[in-house]
Amino acid sequence: MLAILRRELIAILRTRKAFVLQLGVAACFVGLIALRWPTDGRADLSGTRSGEVFRLFSYALLAAIALLAPVFPATSIVTERRRGTLALLLNSPLSPATIYAGKWLGVLGFVGLLLGLTMPAAAACYAMGGISLSGQLVAVYGLLVLVAVQYTCLGLLVSSLANSADGAVRVTYGCVLALAVLTLAPYFFLQQSAGWLSEVAAWLRCVSPIPAMMEIVGQGDIGSEIAWQGPSAVARFLILAPILSAVFAGITISRLRYHLLDRSRSQGLITDNRGLGARTARRAFFIIDPRRRSRNIGDWVNPVMAKEFRTRRFGRSHWMLRLIGICAILSLFLAFTVTTGTVRWELEAVGGPLVLLQVGLMVVFMPSLAAGLISSEQENHAWPLLRTAPLSGGQIVRGKLLSSLWTMLLMLGATLPGYVVMIYIQPTLWLQVVRAFVCLLFAGLVALMISAMVGSWFRRTAAATTAAYVAVLGLFGGTLLIWLARDAPFGFRTVENALKWNPMAAALSVFNLPGFRNYQLVPISWWISAAIVIVCFLVMRFRVQALTRPE
Amino acid sequence: MNRPEIIGQSPNGGQSPSHVASQKPPVKAAEEPVVEVRNLGKRYGEFVALEDLSLTVMRGQILGFIGPNGAGKTTTIKILVGLARPTSGVARIAGIDCARDSARIKRVVGYMPDGFGSYDNMRVREYLDFFGAAFGIPRRQRVPRIAEVLEITNSTYMQDRYVESLSHGMQQRVGIARTLLHDPEVLIFDEPANGLDPQARIEMRELLLRLAASGKTLIVTSHILPELSRICDQVAIITQGRLRAAGSLEEIMRNLNQRRTIEIQLPAGQELAVAEAAVRDRLGDDGSLAVSPAEGMLRFETTQTDDQLSDVLSSLISAGVRICQFRELQTDLEDAFMSVLQQQRAAESLSPEKA
Repeated sequence: MLAILRRELIAILRTRKAFVLQLGVAACFVGLIALRWPTDGRADLSGTRSGEVFRLFSYALLAAIALLAPVFPATSIVTERRRGTLALLLNSPLSPATIYAGKWLGVLGFVGLLLGLTMPAAAACYAMGGISLSGQLVAVYGLLVLVAVQYTCLGLLVSSLANSADGAVRVTYGCVLALAVLTLAPYFFLQQSAGWLSEVAAWLRCVSPIPAMMEIVGQGDIGSEIAWQGPSAVARFLILAPILSAVFAGITISRLRYHLLDRSRSQGLITDNRGLGARTARRAFFIIDPRRRSRNIGDWVNPVMAKEFRTRRFGRSHWMLRLIGICAILSLFLAFTVTTGTVRWELEAVGGPLVLLQVGLMVVFMPSLAAGLISSEQENHAWPLLRTAPLSGGQIVRGKLLSSLWTMLLMLGATLPGYVVMIYIQPTLWLQVVRAFVCLLFAGLVALMISAMVGSWFRRTAAATTAAYVAVLGLFGGTLLIWLARDAPFGFRTVENALKWNPMAAALSVFNLPGFRNYQLVPISWWISAAIVIVCFLVMRFRVQALTRPE
Repeated sequence: MNRPEIIGQSPNGGQSPSHVASQKPPVKAAEEPVVEVRNLGKRYGEFVALEDLSLTVMRGQILGFIGPNGAGKTTTIKILVGLARPTSGVARIAGIDCARDSARIKRVVGYMPDGFGSYDNMRVREYLDFFGAAFGIPRRQRVPRIAEVLEITNSTYMQDRYVESLSHGMQQRVGIARTLLHDPEVLIFDEPANGLDPQARIEMRELLLRLAASGKTLIVTSHILPELSRICDQVAIITQGRLRAAGSLEEIMRNLNQRRTIEIQLPAGQELAVAEAAVRDRLGDDGSLAVSPAEGMLRFETTQTDDQLSDVLSSLISAGVRICQFRELQTDLEDAFMSVLQQQRAAESLSPEKA
C-alpha cells in the first residue's frame, strides 16, 4: 500500500497543476487575511471583525476543498485503466482494498497539504481574537477533512465507472454540486410541512456541508425560515458523511476487479439493418433512434459543428431531447411549487429559484461542453488531421463554439415555460422576465466562452475541464462569497462592484430577490459580460490560430 | 557522402527479380517528378532537426523513408504536408511550394500520421463523412466517394462500427480510407505497419501496392524494414537530420561498398577445422571468419569477387571437405540500414571533433 501511496502522492506533487494549486491556495488565503488585517490603533475587543474575516475564510476554504479535492481522485482509476496500468496493479499481489487505500490516502495527503498551507492564515485569523479554538477553528478544519474524505471517495467511485478522464471530472463535479446544493432544495420547500417527508428533507439537507459550516461559523441556517429544534446540522453531517464515504468506498473496492477491464468492443449495431417491427418499436421508445444511420453532413453546414454534435454525448439528438425534456419539467415543477407558495412570497421571488436552476445548469454543463473543444482534439491525436484539412482557424472556432452555443440556447429555451407561467399569473412582470432572460443569456455566454478559452490552453481534456470549472465557479461562486460577506467585512460598494461581474446576480437583482434588491447591476453587468465574452473569443481565436499555423 | 537523388524507378525495386515478381505489380512510373525537396533544413533554436536534405520522387513510386527514432523523418513529412515550415531550402509537391502554399498542398496530399486521430461516439461512415465535408466534397459526391474508399481499403463491413472500438489494423485501414477521400496525388503514411499483426501487415502491404498501381505516389516511413523492402521502389535513409543514402536498394549497397556474407554448411562437425584452414588460406586478410560447431557452419564476410569465391569453393573440395551448401546471404534493407549506421558511427569516432 505504501508503494501506491507514495506513487500517487508523488505523481500528484510532481505536476505543475499541483504546484500552481498549492501556491494559489496559500496566496489567496494569506491575501484574504492581509486585506482585512486591522490597521488602525483601536482594538476590536468584541471580536466582530475577526469573526467576519473567519466566516469568509471558512466559506472560501470550503469552496476550495469542494472544487479541488474531487479532481485528482476523479481521474485516478480511469486514467490507470486507459493507460493499462490498472491491469498491472490488479495482476500484482495487492488486494483491491490495498490499491484503493493507497489511492485514497495519496489524494487525501495532497488535500491535507493544501489545508496545511492555509494554517498560517487560520492562525492569523485566530490571533485577531474572538474565535474559539476548539469550537470554531478546529471544528472548521475537522469539517473540511470530512468533506475532503467524502468527495475523494465520490471521485474514486465515479472514476471506476467512467470511460474517460474528462467525463469523470464532469460527472464528479455534477455529483458534488448535487450533494452540496441540490440536497438543500427539498428542505427549502418542505420545511414547514409536518411528517416524515419533512424529516427526510431535513436529513437530506445535512448531506451538504454548507448548513454544518454555517452552524460552526455562527451564521443562520441556509434557506431556513423556522428555528430547527432537532439535532444540529454538524452532528447530522458527522453521521452522514462517513456513512456516504463508506458506501462510495465499498462500491469502488467491489468494482476494482478484472471485470472492470473485461469489456467487449461495440459491434456497431444499426437499426436500419433490422426488421420493421424493431425499427418501429425503437422509434416509439427513443423518438430519435440513436442507432439509426445518420445522414451525411449538408453542404452548408459547418462540418466541425456537425462533428462536435456527433461525438459529444449530449450532442446526439436523443440525448438533447432528454436534456431539454428534463429542463422543461424542472422549470415547470419549480414554477408550480413556488407559485403555490405565493401566500408567503412576492411573485417576483418566484423568479429566484428559476434563475438559480438555469444558472446551475449553465455552470454544470457549459464547462463540460466547451472546455474540451480544442484539448480533446489534441488528446485524441486528431488535431494534425484537422490541420491537414483545408479548414481555416475561423471555421474551426465557429464550428466548435456554435455546437456549444446551440446546446446552451436549447437548454435555456427549455427552462422558459416557468417564466411563461409567471407572466400568465402577473402580466406586468414581462419586462422583468425579459431583462432577467438577457442576464441569463449572458450567464450562459460567459460560462461558455470562459470554458472554451481556458480549455484551449490545455492539451489534456481532464485538466482543461477542471480549469474551466474552477474559472467558471470562481466567477459565479467567488462573487457570491463576497456577497455572503456583505456589510461585514465588505462594504456595499465592494459587493456591488463584485456582483456586476456575475450575470446571475444581475438576474436575481432584476427579480428584486432579498439580498439583491438594493444593488443596481443592470445594464452595467451586461456590458461587463459582453466584454468578457469578446475578450475570451479573441483569446481563443488567437490560440487556435497559433495552433493551426505551421510550426 | 554525396546526396544522391532518387530519379526514375529501379529495374527491380531493390530486390531479387523473382522476389519482386511475386510482390510488386508491374507499374511503370511516369518520368515526372511529383515530390521535389531541395536543400531542406529545419532548426528548432540550436537543435538541427534537418540539414541539407534533397530528394526527388517520381509519379507512381513508393519511397521508403527510414531512419532511427529522432532522425528527422517526421519533421520532413510535416514540412511536406504543410504542418511545419523549413528554415532553409524548398519542398514542392506537384509543383506547389509546401511552405508558401500550405492551403493548396492539403488538397494534393493525403497524410496519415502515426497516431490514428479518433473521435468518441463516431461511426466509421460518420468519420469519413466529416473529413469529406472538411475537404469540401459536396454531399452528392461524398456519399459514393465514401463507399469507394471503403471498398478500396476493404473496410465496407466496418462502416457502422465506432472508430474507437476498431482494432489497430482496422483503424489503419480507415486512416488510409480517410487520406484517399479527396483523391490526392501523393500519399504520405507515417508508420502504417506499426503494431499490426502479420495478417494485417500483409493486407496493408497489398493495399499500398494497389494504391501505387493506381498511380498514386507514396512516401512511407516504417521501422519494419523487411516490410518496406518488399514494396518500395526507392529508399531514403536518414540519420541525425541528414540524408545518408538514397536510391534503389542495389544502388545503396553499391555505394556503401557492402561486404558479402558467405555461409558454408557442412554435413559433419569434424571437417570444420579442415574447412576453416582452407578458407583462411584463401581469404588472407580480406574478411572475417566465424565458425559455429553447433550448426556445422562457417560464415565469413568478404569483398572478393565471384571468381575468387569459386576458388575458395574449389580449394575446399580439393581438401576433401564435403559441402552441403555454399551460399551468399541476400542483402536486405536491414543490412543496408545497419551499414549506414555503422558508417556514420565510424565517421563520428574518427572525426577530429570527437577526438
